Amino acid sequence: MILQDARVQLRVIGEPRLLAGLDQGRADRQRHLFTHGAQPDLNREAYTQLAEAVGLRGRGGAAFPVALKLADLPAKGIEAVVVNGSESEPVSRKDRLLLTLAPHLVLDGATGLARALGAPHVLIAVHDAAAATSIREAIMERDDGLAIEVTDTPGRFVAGEARAVLSALEGGKAVPPGRRALPTRKGYHRRPTFLSNVETFAQLAVLARLGPKGYSSTGLISEPGTQLLTVDGAVERPGVVETPTGVPLEAVLQFSGAARGPVLLGGYHGKWLPETDGVYLQRPEVSAGIILALGTETCPLGEVHRVSQWLASQSAGQCGPCVFGLASLVDDFDRLVKGDPAGWHDAQRHLGLVPGRGACAHPDGSARFLASALEVFGEDVRLHLDGGGCGRPVLGVLPVPGGSW
Amino acid sequence: MVTTTASKVEIDWTRCDGHGLCATLLPNDVVLDEWGFPVLNGREITAGELPHARRAVLACPALALRLDRPVERDA
Repeated sequence: MILQDARVQLRVIGEPRLLAGLDQGRADRQRHLFTHGAQPDLNREAYTQLAEAVGLRGRGGAAFPVALKLADLPAKGIEAVVVNGSESEPVSRKDRLLLTLAPHLVLDGATGLARALGAPHVLIAVHDAAAATSIREAIMERDDGLAIEVTDTPGRFVAGEARAVLSALEGGKAVPPGRRALPTRKGYHRRPTFLSNVETFAQLAVLARLGPKGYSSTGLISEPGTQLLTVDGAVERPGVVETPTGVPLEAVLQFSGAARGPVLLGGYHGKWLPETDGVYLQRPEVSAGIILALGTETCPLGEVHRVSQWLASQSAGQCGPCVFGLASLVDDFDRLVKGDPAGWHDAQRHLGLVPGRGACAHPDGSARFLASALEVFGEDVRLHLDGGGCGRPVLGVLPVPGGSW
Repeated sequence: MVTTTASKVEIDWTRCDGHGLCATLLPNDVVLDEWGFPVLNGREITAGELPHARRAVLACPALALRLDRPVERDA
């Protein structure tokens, strides 16, 4: 069975770790063991020390230190280890790629940690069909003595938020709850839960094998190791790239054949960069590792307006300021693109009214994305408000999922 | 060590429907935005204001207004 998504290209800058041994496609149990060796049996203390020694951070976007998450769990009674593979950022491909091509690495990380924590359940939330098939097949190939469950979660942006995933795993709606509670205290069925992104578990599996010294042989001193990046937009070679942490953005752009022009770092909750020179790819700025090159052929504000429509459509519809605020911002950007100065003024006001006023970070992230666009594309804003526009068409360089989401 | 307790009002955004009673009952802490949803100024509720704030919390028709758990802090 060929599970590899033909459109996603894998590439490596430097030494491959997560992507090692994948040149011929999916690594079955045998190839996985041949490439990485067996997963060592470590206890909870060892995992905490390892995560602390290399400053490992969650790879889902929030970049929360794994050691702190482990330290926040109670000594006993941990219910589940949850692998968040919902990957709801529309451009990101790294997590479904790992689940599809290197499922055993992810499972090693998750089951190893579950055993160390004494958690009886390993729950894997997946959205992609090929990823779900591959991980289910991998589970059949091994005997972990744990209850491993794979659940399909909805693909809506907000459904990927940690507590929305927990709610979906419990059989509820995939929306964030109104009360802020940490999964480490009240997670799966309100019991202590370790939840992290797919790549985090793959990194843990590699870290457990290499030890802190081997793991730190590449990347930054502050956060050594490698990272997975998804590169898309105006690039000749889009796909997933594994690089050491802290590589210059310019290197990745050149490697991917990116057109010159503005770059969006961190996906649709991320920020536009005013300048790509001197930017080094590290957490928290790099977030979930999404790099989008815009190029110079398309109208930046028109592109941002398209994405704003999508962001507004992805609200779970629970919180007033998110529903009304994002809808207003779509309208503001529409008027701004058409040259109405009132659109710009209203956008400034609405951008102040949206952040911090919702059950999850969707309004905050969307406002961050839109605010950085107004800042970085100031010259385009001026051209549009002068009445003539920027003279470029909206090409749709920024991918926006269609109605199936 | 002397400790004081301070609390703030907070909103469960998944419940709030913008009835707007909180802005009338707690004009020093809550104003309404252009869509009728509360904007908090983040001020701490003093001990003397606490009974009144509690009444406002009980008055919220959507049960969305809350007092957060008091934070113990060095005076």
